[in-house]
Amino acid sequence: MSEDRYHINIFKPNGEFQKTEVKYIWMILAVWALGTYGFQLLLKIVQRNPQGESFLTDMQFLGFPFHYWFTGQFLIIMFILLCIWFNILIDGLEDRMGKGDIRN
Amino acid sequence: MEASFKLGPAIILVVVLIAFIAIGVGHKAKDQDDYWAAGRGIGRIGAGAAIASNWMSAASFLGMAGLLYLKGYFALAYVIGWTGGYVMLLVLMAGQIRRFGKYTAADFIGDRYESQGARLLAALTAIIISLTYAIGQYKGIAMMFSWVFGMNYATSVIVGTGVVLAYIIIAGMLGATKNMQFQYVIIITAFIFPLIFIAKKLGYFYLIPEIGYGSAVWDLGHKYASDPNNLKYIQPWGVASTYKWIALCFTMMVGTAGLPHVLSRFYVVPNTRDARWSVVWGLFFIGLLYWSSPAYAAFARVQNAIAGVQPVKALADVIIITAAENAGLPQWFTGYLAAGAISAAFSTVSGLLLAAGGAVSHDIYYRIINPNASEQSRMMVSKVAVFVLGLCVIMFALKPFALIAQIVAMAFAIAGNTIFPTFLLGVWWSRANKQGCIAGMLVGLTLTAFFFFWGKGNDHWLAQLIPFTSSSLILMPIALFTNIIVSSMTPPPSKEIRKFLCEQVHGIEFD
Repeated sequence: MSEDRYHINIFKPNGEFQKTEVKYIWMILAVWALGTYGFQLLLKIVQRNPQGESFLTDMQFLGFPFHYWFTGQFLIIMFILLCIWFNILIDGLEDRMGKGDIRN
Repeated sequence: MEASFKLGPAIILVVVLIAFIAIGVGHKAKDQDDYWAAGRGIGRIGAGAAIASNWMSAASFLGMAGLLYLKGYFALAYVIGWTGGYVMLLVLMAGQIRRFGKYTAADFIGDRYESQGARLLAALTAIIISLTYAIGQYKGIAMMFSWVFGMNYATSVIVGTGVVLAYIIIAGMLGATKNMQFQYVIIITAFIFPLIFIAKKLGYFYLIPEIGYGSAVWDLGHKYASDPNNLKYIQPWGVASTYKWIALCFTMMVGTAGLPHVLSRFYVVPNTRDARWSVVWGLFFIGLLYWSSPAYAAFARVQNAIAGVQPVKALADVIIITAAENAGLPQWFTGYLAAGAISAAFSTVSGLLLAAGGAVSHDIYYRIINPNASEQSRMMVSKVAVFVLGLCVIMFALKPFALIAQIVAMAFAIAGNTIFPTFLLGVWWSRANKQGCIAGMLVGLTLTAFFFFWGKGNDHWLAQLIPFTSSSLILMPIALFTNIIVSSMTPPPSKEIRKFLCEQVHGIEFD
């Protein structure tokens, strides 16, 4: 595609560092998408009426209907954990590759 | 809700407002760098609090609980969109934007795509987004002023804008950032403590009302389920379809990751690592608010169910005040709650006006019209711009052109359909060029505007597929592919910018 080495493409990572970085990005985004949209689709798949009732809405957890707890409370916790996880991974990668200083 | 003068709340509000200005004046901006990037010395937690305070608007503080109160599970799509967007922003762009090292969204776009046209387009888009969003804050400000002082809407808009303008212009962003940390404390304490009182009054677990409200939600679906409206509250698709839920959530996510005033927060931290970690703190601080809004909404619905009345749409935007009053919260504390709501609106409006002022003085005046402008004249233009834009906001806010929630939703859709794809490709695809950027942004802007004006209240299948408040699920990919296709058909960007992107922005070392 490019006649020189200066190219960036998230689908064709440039160099070892970026290969690992992009792998982490897809990993986090996969969990992020599954938790957010995957759970809504799951609700849709297991529903027994068009309003979306199912065993997931009948189940009680911490007082909540389970689906309400999962979306309203757990997903935000998951988002924060994902951000922490990503930062730890990238910090570790930067330290291993000795890139902490130039990337700042 | 009665609109009469209330002494206790008025004193609390005035004290809080004076404190904002005093803190702003105590931290005067020294020069342009100081004005924009606030000295870059506020640390990760401080930057996180600033992200949260900048983010938490009247829409979050008042509108969110109101929507949840009316729409139950469906409205959780806003909560998830507004928090999940930060994950996307962090993993895809935060560090890279910080390393690119530009102050404004237009600066990034203009420099990355090597085009003054793209810069101008981005600056104008940023101004449209900021003003649209700011107008949306005034309903909140006005409702709170009218509750505390018994003022009418017009008076509250003018008084409120006056106060915001005063402290931005006097103190610049350093003051505003310091203010933001202080504002965050006011906002969050005001929001969280009344809940304990309300939960206790209703007999739910009150030590952590964010968990205790679970039983209130359960009761709405069981104990009070004889009213079908209460049942709809907890049913996943009781109010709207799965598609609508997902489209709305996605639009809020890409909108969050494309709002210029959110993007510009990353320049306030000293380095990339701090930029990334400040997102974690910011998200946690935002989470504290969003774990609590559904609790207000559920408790208010249970109060309604016990009293045997239907939810009132007109009360939705002030439901947190009404719920607190219904539970018999002392009036001075309800006043503190109102002060929190006003702080939330003020911090967002100041962030938005700064972003819009920056677009005028830095992107349009300095980078396009007069590159030799001195420090003083840029500072002056910036202040004048903030002032003039503030006046524009007043004019529109006095006569809003649509419902406030619709105005805010449009700001998100514009950001998600224009700025987000342009940043994403700018960071992650070095082949994206100025033609692609301009084409993508124009397509994004045009289609968003079309579906807003044509699609509103339209039954056409296309308007159902692309709901005007949730258009990004379809339109963001269209804008993204427009950029990709047009870029592929035109010459690649210069070697200089691709080298910069590789070495500086992505930190690739070539041997």
